[in-house]
Amino acid sequence: MDYIDPHLHMVSRTTDDYETLARMGCVAISEPAFWAGFDRGSVDSFRDYFRQLTEFEPKRAAQYGISHYTWLCINAKEAENVTLSREVIAMIPEFLGCSNVLGIGEIGLNKNTRNEATIFMEHVDLAVKYKQQILIHTPHLEDKYQGTRMILDMLMGDSRIDRSRVLVDHVEEHTIEYVLENGFWAGMTLYPVSKCTPQRAADMIERYGPERLMANSAGDWGPSKPTAIPDLIMELKKRGHTKELIQRVVYENPKTFFTQSKPFVHG
Amino acid sequence: MNTKTALVERSAQQIIFDEFMIARAKIVELAATLDRIERATGDVEDSRNMQLLVQGMHILCDDEVEKAKRVQLLMSRQYDPQWQTQMSISKLGS
Repeated sequence: MDYIDPHLHMVSRTTDDYETLARMGCVAISEPAFWAGFDRGSVDSFRDYFRQLTEFEPKRAAQYGISHYTWLCINAKEAENVTLSREVIAMIPEFLGCSNVLGIGEIGLNKNTRNEATIFMEHVDLAVKYKQQILIHTPHLEDKYQGTRMILDMLMGDSRIDRSRVLVDHVEEHTIEYVLENGFWAGMTLYPVSKCTPQRAADMIERYGPERLMANSAGDWGPSKPTAIPDLIMELKKRGHTKELIQRVVYENPKTFFTQSKPFVHG
Repeated sequence: MNTKTALVERSAQQIIFDEFMIARAKIVELAATLDRIERATGDVEDSRNMQLLVQGMHILCDDEVEKAKRVQLLMSRQYDPQWQTQMSISKLGS
């Protein structure tokens, strides 16, 4: 079955992974900018990273027939450095015209601090100013519930936000309802230990239905599995769900959401 | 929201048949973790993590629904609706 992985950090993965993804049915990837595992020291580090995301990765993906899209930002972990964050935000417009840029992301919170919230709102302001879609990272583990509620407060307090153009990622059982009932798109991240397993993602699809819901692997340099979406497809098949339902979650929904960005032309 | 949704294709009997071995393995792992703690030196009576695990196990055994959501909330930091005032964060675009 063809599928789209809406959140996959391919800069951390090998070319062999691209080949495996293609064999598994992956036809398109969207790659949000994220933390490199260490704090970067200058705006030029980010400029080079954004060139990698907009020039190099699309070519590497294309060798295997996969369309590659991306999102740009400075992530929440580095937002404590407010000066650097503002330099990066000021530089992002240099790349917004690139053919594979879908919007601003993954922006969000990490430890739910004042500086993180400030930089989050400055990213949102940038997205509004340039009419960009937004992809949001919600925090990990014990910080997720509080951080997700704070993020939703900031978004819903901004009358300029079109909620149908915002994807709130890494939802779990205790956050998904707030995201969906307020009109945002929701992403479930399939991780081996933290976040969500394919079985729990299938539970949430059964519980809340497929409307504005999608799944991703968020494969990166840590413990993660870039082919996690086929695991979800298999789980849903095992439970007796229809091809139409599965296809909606893993292909049609990401396509519908991304099509709101001009560069997205897949299918 | 009714938790008995139409999207669930399997019966309760089918789910327990399909998933018994997986759940069995998980409950044995949890039991073995508790045994490991018991055999080790030191005391976890005041450990916040241990208290959370015990409270989580109580949720598994009670008669209420939405156990996964309630365990998640148990393990979460509290949300304060007044956080923006407390952090002196002003709203954008309002």
